[in-house]
Amino acid sequence: MATASRFLLRKLPRFLKLSPTLLRSNGVRVSSNLIQDSIEPLDSFWRIGSRIRHDSLTTRSFSSQGPASVDYSSVLQEEEFHKLANFTINHLLEKIEDYGDNVQIDGFDIDYGNEVLTLKLGSLGTYVLNKQTPNRQIWMSSPVSGPSRFDWDRDANAWIYRRTEAKLHKLLEEELENLCGEPIQLS
Amino acid sequence: PNVGTGLVGAPACGDVMKLQIKVDEKTGQIVDARFKTFGCGSAIASSSVATEWVKGKAMEDVLTIKNTEIAKHLSLPPVKLHCSMLAEDAIKAAVKDYKEKRVKTNGAAAAGETTQA
Repeated sequence: MATASRFLLRKLPRFLKLSPTLLRSNGVRVSSNLIQDSIEPLDSFWRIGSRIRHDSLTTRSFSSQGPASVDYSSVLQEEEFHKLANFTINHLLEKIEDYGDNVQIDGFDIDYGNEVLTLKLGSLGTYVLNKQTPNRQIWMSSPVSGPSRFDWDRDANAWIYRRTEAKLHKLLEEELENLCGEPIQLS
Repeated sequence: PNVGTGLVGAPACGDVMKLQIKVDEKTGQIVDARFKTFGCGSAIASSSVATEWVKGKAMEDVLTIKNTEIAKHLSLPPVKLHCSMLAEDAIKAAVKDYKEKRVKTNGAAAAGETTQA
């Protein structure tokens, strides 16, 4: 713990210096997190360290990139993210399992393990969905539309890919219907 | 001044990609490209292939390089498509950075000329 707090004290000023914008908008939340975390046991020390680096670095690296920019005021707390994402993935798993019974696709297989949802459609390709916790995103790899990363949108109550404004459920519905020839209702 | 740098990725997920292009200012051709990538093998391979492909091409042409082409070339499995996306983003970010730099230098040069006149 002593090492951890020394580490924090050393890291903190640099962090403060690195991301003035982050601090201005989120100062209260960030610092309260730090205090909260620093009274947790030692294992949280790595998390703190990585979060500091993550926040300051992403602020910089994404600033030059419109579509991937991160609005820190709307970042989900980790617990809420897991709740939402797990619900979504389990829901998709159920719906697509049922769908599999209705369509005749050779090699249709859906599997959820190690927090990764894999949907195999034989020769039509493979879908992979997984949680990307550090970014609070759900990542999808589609044989049709390729890779996409969905953020939770509170207003729309949906997972949305910022670049294309596509919604996860709608995109999957459209692609699966095109691939398998049967409509599917996911939302 | 004739180098554009694209830095993309989220350090927290373990993937950061830096791709730099050196551009011939007269022709707009990319004469050299370098990468530095922290991440999985697929991310490193994607950025490597990206540098190979952009070399000798016109700046406008490399913007059409798609993640799907990179993924196909490397036969990336579905889970790894995201890495090729990162490489596409890196190329675009590098070109954008170069263009922004050039606008700045040109603006400064133009301002210099007016004062001289």
